Amino acid sequence: MKILVPAKRVPDTDQKIEVCEDHSGIETGHLPFVVNPFDAIALEEAIRIREDRVDAEIVAVSVGDLEYEEQLRTALAMGADRAIRVDCIESLDPWNTACVLKALVEQESPDLVLMGKQAVDGDCNQTGQFLAAMLDWPQATFASRIKCLEDKLLVDRETDAGIETVELPFPAVITVDLRLNEPRYASLPGIMKAKKKEIAEISMGDLGVQNAEKMHTVSVRSAKTARKRVMVSSSCELAEKLRESLKST
Amino acid sequence: MERGLLSAAQVDPVLTREVFGNVSKTSQLIFYLLAAAAVLCFAIGVYRRVRLWQLGAKPAGKSASCKALGRKLGDILFQRRMINRSKINLAHRLLFVGFGILFIGTVLIAIEHVLADLLGREPTDPLFHKGLYFALYEVTLDLFGLAMIVGCCVFMARRWKADSSIDRYPADWVVLWAFLLIGITGYVTEGLRIIQAQTPLPGWSFVGYGIASLFQALDMSQSAATEVHIAAWWFHAVLALAFIAAFPYTRLMHSIAGVLNLMHDAENLGEMQLVTLEELEETGRIGVSAIDHFDRSRLIQLDACVSCGRCEDACPAFEAGKPLSPRTVVQDLRTHLNVVGPGILATTKDAKDPSDGDSVDIHGDTISAETLWSCTTCGACADICPLGVTPLGMITDMRRHLVGEGQLRGAPATSLQKTQRSGNPWGLPANDRFAWAADIEVPTVKDNPEFEYLYWVGCAAAYDRRIQNVARSVVKLLRYADVSFAVLGAEEKCTGESARRMGDEFLFQELAAANIDTFKKYRVRKIVAHCPHCVNSFLQDYPQLGGNYEVIHHSQLLDLLVETGRLPVSTADKQGKVVYHDPCYLARANEVTEAPRRVIAAAHFEKDESRLTELPRNRRHTSCCGGGGGRMWFDDSPGNRSGNGRIDEILNSCAETVAVSCPFCMVMVSDGVAASTSQESVQVRDVAEILVDSIDLDSLPGSSSS
Repeated sequence: MKILVPAKRVPDTDQKIEVCEDHSGIETGHLPFVVNPFDAIALEEAIRIREDRVDAEIVAVSVGDLEYEEQLRTALAMGADRAIRVDCIESLDPWNTACVLKALVEQESPDLVLMGKQAVDGDCNQTGQFLAAMLDWPQATFASRIKCLEDKLLVDRETDAGIETVELPFPAVITVDLRLNEPRYASLPGIMKAKKKEIAEISMGDLGVQNAEKMHTVSVRSAKTARKRVMVSSSCELAEKLRESLKST
Repeated sequence: MERGLLSAAQVDPVLTREVFGNVSKTSQLIFYLLAAAAVLCFAIGVYRRVRLWQLGAKPAGKSASCKALGRKLGDILFQRRMINRSKINLAHRLLFVGFGILFIGTVLIAIEHVLADLLGREPTDPLFHKGLYFALYEVTLDLFGLAMIVGCCVFMARRWKADSSIDRYPADWVVLWAFLLIGITGYVTEGLRIIQAQTPLPGWSFVGYGIASLFQALDMSQSAATEVHIAAWWFHAVLALAFIAAFPYTRLMHSIAGVLNLMHDAENLGEMQLVTLEELEETGRIGVSAIDHFDRSRLIQLDACVSCGRCEDACPAFEAGKPLSPRTVVQDLRTHLNVVGPGILATTKDAKDPSDGDSVDIHGDTISAETLWSCTTCGACADICPLGVTPLGMITDMRRHLVGEGQLRGAPATSLQKTQRSGNPWGLPANDRFAWAADIEVPTVKDNPEFEYLYWVGCAAAYDRRIQNVARSVVKLLRYADVSFAVLGAEEKCTGESARRMGDEFLFQELAAANIDTFKKYRVRKIVAHCPHCVNSFLQDYPQLGGNYEVIHHSQLLDLLVETGRLPVSTADKQGKVVYHDPCYLARANEVTEAPRRVIAAAHFEKDESRLTELPRNRRHTSCCGGGGGRMWFDDSPGNRSGNGRIDEILNSCAETVAVSCPFCMVMVSDGVAASTSQESVQVRDVAEILVDSIDLDSLPGSSSS
């Protein structure tokens, strides 16, 4: 079986994000970038599936410029068998990303697309759903447990009401949630070894896709986080403060 | 006895005995043939072990000084590395010295016999085995034979009533019985020889003479003694030869492997072996995943281990019930070597390229990942081992493989990832590294380019609010004492110490290279740090990458400043009991134990160190807080932390204050005390914080903040 794992390049979540002065985006000068943590969880799950079924091949894919190779390299170091980068200098919105992924799926014909439920930069939570709809494949979102059987998938989904278990035939799209697993750490020796693995480059044109913007960023502003902190000396005082704040809202 | 000595002297003035007296030429020949067979068997046994050792990679040669070699030889001859278990240490010394002297004595006899024979001398006319030499020889060998028997009996008694903490092989009983019987039959043979040969002054061989007297009291005739003597002699001889033949196949092999290991210039405590990128590219692997990936010296260590369990007793992880016993790690590896080693040897013989040999993965079945991750790298196991075995080194070797293969998960893996991205294990923004000093005056390397000391703040003090107070105290003290110092501010990165000990060698090298570049840029020569892990890394890790600095721990600098009067301590005697918890990487790895004590004594007890309360395990025998070797980043539930035993020790001391001198200890001890159900409570404070309280800082401008 073949598993396609999209891996997006996103700013390190630990860093302080600063907005550009012209509000066109965020300052990326000194920002370290990582594989979108949800995508890393998806990749880890794909590796675990492969550990159970020796015949599985994992293809990590990314849509972006040359810098995206860093994240694909990490994905290869974690255990992906090969990687494809669709060259694209613009940042695509979820619809267009899904279009590119659809074209890739048609080219690679995987049995499963395993991806993060959302990327931590845009927090859109749309690409996976768009992709499933475009392919007309079954989908399971917010997976917290995946059981890969011979001819079907059993997926526990995290919903507001609780855990829902769904059964999917192949091929399918699954988007994963935080509690699915703990991704492995790709150390430098792993990354060096991964240098021998291939990163194929494809242009949007080769895939027959054009960026038709559905979403336009007007302006980026930082959220106001003016938290009021008060030290209290007792639990009674804390209760009193909470009561007051509830009243005032 | 007096009468016997005199009467014998009158019989023959030449004080000697016939070598091989009462043993026919044929018997002598058979004996020498058997001896040759025994030596051959011994040699084959040793050779087989050596072949297995050679499976290991050749270690990078280090030249040891004559002085160091002398010290090591002394360690072996006087068995200086044996500490703690006084009774068994004495027994081992008796056995060791007894056996050693008897062995040398036997070799001397052999030399005498062969030389005399070559020179064509009569059996009754020895070359040097006579006169005063003979007298001294007899009394010495009889005395040390007793030492061997007594030592052996202590071991037998212990093994007889021991609990499961003693590892048992059936061969161990054989070895002990062999020692005992060789000793006893030696005396019996000597006693019978004294009756049979009537040599002069038999009283010098006082034990044999006693036995002879006993036999004579039982009316044994000379002719009877002659017959029994030859039987006893053969019994003794065959037993001794069998012992030699069996030597390398039993745990006695520890003496050969142990001596080799101790004489070899192993890594110091706190030191790790460097792996270069070239080596990685050449071998295509990092760390150890198969037994033949170990360094040769480590394989020798496997044979040096007698499973005495001292390391287990000293291991904080074992104490806390973690799935780690350093002894079991070594013994399991040894068993594994015995099982797979010959197979690897056979395949490598066929294959031209030695790396073609099939090697079996040691991870999983032989050594579990949980075992490897339980280690705090405190070094207690390596320090306590009388034979210089370093379970710690083996563990970090194997950790490197796990990290290289991406088999580390969860919080500790995240800490490595964060260290890689942000230069600190918390993953906090690198730009915020100097935020701790926003409200105090701290000279940076740019403010004071001519600084004498670089004050290395470290990640903990840069980001952890509790440890920030330690850095503030150090800064106040250094400024008060008018020390020329500077900090790197946001240009500092994690030393990589924790990453290296977790097995991420190249993350460490990346960070170290960056720091060394920064040091070069600001012409750093002297470094002072309040973190023993950073201190150890600068002292033992960085020189491997070309970074050589004069490095001291803040307690050492503060001690010096108090000593020279630059930090005038108020003489007011403070009340309250203070204990000091030694950090492993300061006290054990770098032997700094007294400076922090003097600082506390100066601050609290009018420089009277004896008033400082000591914990049961102190100085280099300290017990780990549980935070070293990357354990800081593992999510242990409070009841399950290595170091809980240490917390109990601290609480049981009933001290008001526990002084620490390491950020990890500060965090682990504070957390441990907070989680403890004990009624006792204790304040956890760094030595610098304790000192700063006893100094009138008002004369220092700008010190009112914080």
